[in-house]
Amino acid sequence: MEKIIEVMNLTKKYKDLKAIDHLSFDVYKGEILGLLGPNGSGKSTTINCILSLLKFNEGNITIFGKEMTPDSYETKSKIGVVFQEVAVLEELTVYENIDYFCGLYIKDKTARKNYVNEAIHLVGLEDFKKFKPKQLSGGLLRRLNIACGVAHKPSLIFLDEPTVAVDPQSRNNILDGIKTLRDQGATIVYTTHYMEEVEILCDRIIIIDKGNIIAQGTKQELKDLTGIEEKVTVEIDNLEPNKIEDIKKLDNVKEVNYNNNTLLITYKNGKSNFGNLLHYLNKENLVYNKIYSERPTLNDVFLELTGKELRD
Amino acid sequence: MTVFKYFFKVLNSYKFFIILTTVLLVGFGCFSLKTNDTTTNFVANEPTSIIINEDGDNDITKNLCEYIKKNSTIKEINTDEDSINDAIFYRQVSYAIYIPNNYGEDFLKGSNPEIKIKATGDSNSAYMKMLLERYIKIVNIYQQEGLSESEIIQNANRDLEKNIEVEMTSKINANSLSQSTFFYNFANYSLLAGCVFIVAMVLSSFRNRYIRKRTIVSSTKYTSFNKSLFLANAIFALALWAIYVIISILLVKDVMLSLYGILYMINSFVFTICCLSIAFLIGNVISNKDGINGIVNVLALGSSFLCGAFVPVEFLPSSVLTIAHILPSYWYIQNNQFISTLETINFHTLKPYLVNLTVIVLFIIGFIVLTNIITKHKRKEN
Repeated sequence: MEKIIEVMNLTKKYKDLKAIDHLSFDVYKGEILGLLGPNGSGKSTTINCILSLLKFNEGNITIFGKEMTPDSYETKSKIGVVFQEVAVLEELTVYENIDYFCGLYIKDKTARKNYVNEAIHLVGLEDFKKFKPKQLSGGLLRRLNIACGVAHKPSLIFLDEPTVAVDPQSRNNILDGIKTLRDQGATIVYTTHYMEEVEILCDRIIIIDKGNIIAQGTKQELKDLTGIEEKVTVEIDNLEPNKIEDIKKLDNVKEVNYNNNTLLITYKNGKSNFGNLLHYLNKENLVYNKIYSERPTLNDVFLELTGKELRD
Repeated sequence: MTVFKYFFKVLNSYKFFIILTTVLLVGFGCFSLKTNDTTTNFVANEPTSIIINEDGDNDITKNLCEYIKKNSTIKEINTDEDSINDAIFYRQVSYAIYIPNNYGEDFLKGSNPEIKIKATGDSNSAYMKMLLERYIKIVNIYQQEGLSESEIIQNANRDLEKNIEVEMTSKINANSLSQSTFFYNFANYSLLAGCVFIVAMVLSSFRNRYIRKRTIVSSTKYTSFNKSLFLANAIFALALWAIYVIISILLVKDVMLSLYGILYMINSFVFTICCLSIAFLIGNVISNKDGINGIVNVLALGSSFLCGAFVPVEFLPSSVLTIAHILPSYWYIQNNQFISTLETINFHTLKPYLVNLTVIVLFIIGFIVLTNIITKHKRKEN
């Protein structure tokens, strides 16, 4: 696969504090890479270093095969950035804002008109073209922020926590827009601390904490990495001890507890655990009130790897 | 081009403020026209005077006596003190001029000998006082230039002749000049409140930390972005200055289409550049728009009051004027005041004007250097 970004041994210090410590990773063409980590883990610093907004102490960064420097204007023309903070001009309308920021990349006025209209369509702001930022809700403002960053149709997009403090409708719209960008061929680096978004969007995930990469891989690879079990809970009355022993003998079962008419079965990694259990309960004509399975989430992975919740 | 175009779009949202400050300026300009318009009824009376010459008949003293004789009616009365006092008390003479012993010699040495006077205090004596002061002012200028006695007399007489030729026009101009000074003094407020406020507000929008980040990561060179922004600011400031100049031409045409007008224009032009440099400083240092609003209000109103833009300089306490020296407005207003008192316009008489302009230019350089230091420091911090 073609490498779009190569980060090698990136180190950034603020006086004695190492914000990033020998970070190395690659981003491949057409993927959505999730940079996951709690606040202050070094996600934004990493992006700022990649974009040459920050000087770094050690390491090397190449984008599209070329070293990235503050004067890499050709490379910059293929990059779109959506920062965490809403960066729009208060005095301009929605259309004018997008046109202004697009104009920093696309000089041709006629071509730009199409780009701007497509960006407005992408984020669903057709009805708000003539609105000024102050007249927009938080969610719409975030959508405008995204449109300003991607209107020039870049092939590499950095999205730094674009959904912070956004209502569910706008969040869905933003996530759909990001998927559309990916479908159109863009490579996306997406930082967030919202686990659900990473689960929905990202092809590959890098977990960062204290400037170090804790783990990286696909969602499944990360879950497998920790060996976290599946848990099934069954609400069932008066279960006989011999039945409990039978359940213990089912495939992949690690542990079984029965208390207060609640049966908790812990599984090792494995397939068809839930199905096997249902098959056994039906075969023995055991009547249950409720049954549900809990799969490990990325939050569990993060907790397992770092010892803390992601939103700490 | 995009930056240039959108600078004016952003600026457009502050058009109300531009209109407001311009309307205020026009309003005050018209007000000054009405209140100072006393020119049509002016009739010059020839004052009566008496010369008590204790010096003798050297050329300098003789020339002074000739000048007084030319511009007033000399009364022949006894020159003892009682007779002079009586003549003044009974308004037989308006003005008694005492030329001291060795006046001519002392004057040429540059010791500035004092000419004592006695006056009735009426308008005739005031007119005579003005004539005498004008004479002394002009000969002093040439004496300080190190010219010989005959050259001083020749040059001074030439200048005074010119004045006599344009005397009536000059009197009409005295009012027009006063109106022009009033207008351009008030322009101090309009330029500070208008130009500084708007440029600083627009700059703060484009220089907002996050907007700047977005600009830096774009494929537009930051130097080219800065150039466009600077050009747009300069065009705006110059356009505002041009509008004010056009208004002044419409209000006081006779002055503005003369050499005096050019002096007012140059002074206000340099001050506009100074306002632009102040705006750059404020716009680059302060990102909070409420903060800019507050600072510009304090700056525009404060310096206008302290430096004499609203209240005539003569009415301001000397302590206030001393403090005002630290503000560019003071030097700008001083120049406006100076233009209105100019008798003749040449390199020698314009020296104070040029000094004041130089001070304003130094302020401009100072503000630019300060802006650079602060922005570099801020960039490092970021």
